[in-house]
Amino acid sequence: MSTAGVRRGATGLTLLGLAGLIGLFWMSFFWVSTEVNQGIVQRIFYVHVPAAWTSFLAIGIAALCSGVYLWLRDEKLDRAAVCAAEGGLVFATIVLLTGPLWGKIAWGTYWNWEPRLTLTLLLWFVFVGYFMVRNATEDPEKGKRFAAVVAIVGAIDIPFIHLSVIWFRSLHPEPVVVKPDGPTLPGDMLATLMVGLGVFTLLFFGLFLFRYALEGLRSEADLRARRPAS
Amino acid sequence: MSGYFRQVCAIVKKDVLLEVRSRDRITAMGSFAVLAGVLFNFSIDTTTTRPQDVAAGLIWMTLIFGGLLGVGRTFHLEAQDGAFQGVLTSPVPKDAIFLAKVIANFALLYAVSLLVLGVFALFFALDIGPNLAWIMVILALGSLGFVALATLFAAVSTGTTMGETLLPVLVFPLLVPMVVFGVGSTGRLMSGRPFDEVEGNVRMLGAFAFAAVAAGAVLFRYVVED
Repeated sequence: MSTAGVRRGATGLTLLGLAGLIGLFWMSFFWVSTEVNQGIVQRIFYVHVPAAWTSFLAIGIAALCSGVYLWLRDEKLDRAAVCAAEGGLVFATIVLLTGPLWGKIAWGTYWNWEPRLTLTLLLWFVFVGYFMVRNATEDPEKGKRFAAVVAIVGAIDIPFIHLSVIWFRSLHPEPVVVKPDGPTLPGDMLATLMVGLGVFTLLFFGLFLFRYALEGLRSEADLRARRPAS
Repeated sequence: MSGYFRQVCAIVKKDVLLEVRSRDRITAMGSFAVLAGVLFNFSIDTTTTRPQDVAAGLIWMTLIFGGLLGVGRTFHLEAQDGAFQGVLTSPVPKDAIFLAKVIANFALLYAVSLLVLGVFALFFALDIGPNLAWIMVILALGSLGFVALATLFAAVSTGTTMGETLLPVLVFPLLVPMVVFGVGSTGRLMSGRPFDEVEGNVRMLGAFAFAAVAAGAVLFRYVVED
């Protein structure tokens, strides 16, 4: 796809995502019923969980693109991996900001080493390591390979971290959607959550495509700068 | 296959011999471990905390920090004089080089971890006798997983401008399973609980070590190419 095409797609998806975000905010503030035990603070859930989902989707995409990049050495795949990692970093930051805000009221403390929150913090550091490695090499090609290795090992380690999280004593609310005997979340809350997941995914892919187009333009500009002036 | 095994053995032999003759890393790691034990002793208020209760955690943290100290320098000596280029251009598969480095580092770290266990048992009056064999197995699994990850990322950080300072940023987030499963199992064994109680932890630690070695063996070639 041409860069212009990617930008059109990015604009479309992002606008759709932003419109959806307004809808999601309306739903989570005015439409959905208030949770009995936790009260109004529970509404942060509709931003927190979709952001978490998106950041884990991002590490998946970054690792997948990195793996195929190491195999095929197609610049486009490396570009896609960077854009996914950057998006992942942003959404993981949202999780790390909304989690403690909720925790302060629900648990009485901003941070309590709750394992799933810790998992996101570690994921955040994997993304940070990804960018540090990338920028700390003299040869950009080397940086790309190193970063790809970081993303892949990070993605392989996530299930282990997740398991160790379950092993460890947990204060986090138990899963309410993905469970063997079906979701226990009331209908309107489930609907709001699903809208949230959809909206955040759309936004992620919109921003992802914008970044992808930007990286494309950057490498074009590099090529032109290197070409001798005629 | 026997050729492959011979190649791995040759590199392991070279690295172990180098270490035995220079004793650089083992001295640094060993002293670090003992001194960390001394400092930990003064960092614990024994009127509020029993050292035995936190000893398992301290042992694993000492292993991680001491391990980074030594394993981080895996490629240092060879990188200095371009000797590693020689190893890479030899007709040895890259994963054999990685496995050899992991085995050599493992031998080093496992020796240090047994030293740590002994010293901490002495310092903090730990009762490790009844479950000693299992504690040693658990330390072996933990050391193997750690060494595999740290060796892979030591190769990465040696290739960057930041050098070893980058290593903790890359490795620490990935070590959480090792700490959870390792401390969970050794802590309980040290307080006299039966092995059945920690079997799951040990299995997970083994799976973690296996995944780390396998991932490293596959990915190492992309780190050292060119």
